[in-house]
Amino acid sequence: MLEIVDLAKRYGNVIALDGASFVARPGRLVGFLGPNGAGKTTTMRCVFGLATADRGRTLWNGMEIDRLARLRFGYMPEQRGLYQRMRVGDQLSYFAQHHGMTARDAAVATARWLERLGLADRAKSKLEELSHGNQQRVQLGAALVHDPELLVLDEPFSGLDPIGIATMSEILHERAAAGVGVLFSSHQLDLVEDICEDVVIIARGRIAAQGAIDELRAASERRHLDVEVEGAAGRWLDGLAGVTVLERKGDLARLLVGADVDLAGLLAAASSAGAVRRFSFQPPALSELFMEAVQP
Amino acid sequence: MSRRRAIWLVARREILERGRSRAFLVSLGLSVVIILAGIFIPGLIGGPDGGVRATTVGVVGTPPARFDENLAAAAAQSRMHVTLKPIADLATADASVNDDSLGAAIDFPAGGANPSLVVKDRGNPFIQVLSNAVVTSRAGAILESAGIDPAELAAAAAPPTVRELTPSDPNRDTAFLFANVGVILLFISIFTFGTWVLTGVVEEKQSRVVEVVLSTVAARDLLMGKVLGIGLLGLVQLVAMVTVGLGAGLATGRFTLPPTTGSALVQLFLWFGLGYAFYSTALGVLGALASRMEEASNASAPVSILASVAYIFALIVATDDPGGLPARIATFIPPVSPMVVPLRVALGAIEPWEIVGSIALMVASIWLLFVLGARVYSGAVLRTGAKIGLRDAWRQTRQ
Repeated sequence: MLEIVDLAKRYGNVIALDGASFVARPGRLVGFLGPNGAGKTTTMRCVFGLATADRGRTLWNGMEIDRLARLRFGYMPEQRGLYQRMRVGDQLSYFAQHHGMTARDAAVATARWLERLGLADRAKSKLEELSHGNQQRVQLGAALVHDPELLVLDEPFSGLDPIGIATMSEILHERAAAGVGVLFSSHQLDLVEDICEDVVIIARGRIAAQGAIDELRAASERRHLDVEVEGAAGRWLDGLAGVTVLERKGDLARLLVGADVDLAGLLAAASSAGAVRRFSFQPPALSELFMEAVQP
Repeated sequence: MSRRRAIWLVARREILERGRSRAFLVSLGLSVVIILAGIFIPGLIGGPDGGVRATTVGVVGTPPARFDENLAAAAAQSRMHVTLKPIADLATADASVNDDSLGAAIDFPAGGANPSLVVKDRGNPFIQVLSNAVVTSRAGAILESAGIDPAELAAAAAPPTVRELTPSDPNRDTAFLFANVGVILLFISIFTFGTWVLTGVVEEKQSRVVEVVLSTVAARDLLMGKVLGIGLLGLVQLVAMVTVGLGAGLATGRFTLPPTTGSALVQLFLWFGLGYAFYSTALGVLGALASRMEEASNASAPVSILASVAYIFALIVATDDPGGLPARIATFIPPVSPMVVPLRVALGAIEPWEIVGSIALMVASIWLLFVLGARVYSGAVLRTGAKIGLRDAWRQTRQ
């Protein structure tokens, strides 16, 4: 398990992290969300010793993360980069060996991952000869080739086409199913909601929310209620207490209500106005939780 | 995984990737051409001992009796060697002297008229020796026909012996050549491969791969591995240059090895290692301060200027007076000593304690530079955007 404890980091006058604490459990896909400049990249860099925190700790399975622990991690930085003129196969093998694999094991792992990424026939090509999409795959390969126990990926989905996104999600799921902890940052909230179990939301260097997406949604005090009453044009809503109307579109009304709202009472009010075609009660979407969490 | 293995992996990558690059092969080929040119061009132009101590002289007509012996004796006294070759007529002799296939020619007209000596110009070093032999032989012939004992005559014709009070060193010219070529080799090698470290650091930074590498490798280990790997390639090139140079020089008789050769070679390789370690570390650290290749040459300017000054100093001041005070002081200034010490060793003008002292100082300064430099390097190598100042990079590590 990855534990971030009270991490703080300042660059000159800019506060990048201000006591952030969260955990990423093995076998779970954790989406790491936050506006630009919230401290996501700095947190990841601290995990890899690329930035030194002013305060706080980074732990792996209860132990302070050191160079040896990092050999079992895989990292994909936000700024992609590999050796342009190095052959793809040599490149993956090089990074595998830097993670402690023998030359022989590295060669086997490289062949296996190139196969998995659909690049088996490009092992002898120089990286610069590959298309942009294929270079992205090699970059992922560099993070995966040594079969890490923890994957930390900074914006892995940015710049990918829909097929690339599908492949990436599939591989991340597969790794998580194999027991690997996967922490990745993203701005694509719908995508995160689709593929992640857990999220960590960071704002201004502090953790604003964290946990399983379903639980966070359920724990919200707000609910969305969509009601469609034939021919009523929403007139039945007038004078109802505890209801905020977000939108009216013909017979459809989108409402914001409290989690403890009297549903039976609302349904009765709607029914009295006409035939109820739709009555949908839902917790807020991740994107709403996000906006709520990051508001100052 | 040990730090040593990480350093070796980095070094190995540099060797494999750069060793088969076109840049390295071109550099290797070019350096061999330069060394061959350095050895043979002075000979072709005609340096101090440009190989003209032996020559072939054409003979037209019949020389007087004992001309051969008299010429051999006179030539030997001047440390020259002359081979005689009969030529059919004067016109042929003129043509051969003109196209340099003969060093000179002597025409002995029938009937004992005054012989003539044909040379390309009066600068010919053999005029004196040839003239002496002609005069002695013709005078001897007259005396012999007058009944003088030939043995007595031969004894009287022998040139006086020469006693040198301060004999000139026969190896001096070769030692001088070795010293000069050695400094040029050192400068080329240190700078070529030091620059590779510089561009390698900037490339890694510009392509951002450095962040992936540094997620497992410590910054100082990456710098050390890079310096080491590229340095081994530099060593390969230096060995190639020395082998080709010595081999070609010996095979063609351009020089014989002076007794200082062994120690000069040891010092050449030793000081390549020390000089390269110093300059490439400095260049690597400065490279980390640049963000793009275009900034690299600006960033490295202070070190390039320092190296050039050291090189020019070695070639001009230290070659002129290798035992003088300026050269002795420079021996103990680390950035300059890599070019001065091997030169003084090759010229045989250095005390053993000076060598030991300069090596100790150099090793200490490399260590200091690496410790300080590695910190600046780690502070700067992950920062992108504008060019970073030394002080910023230094503070960065602490933050």
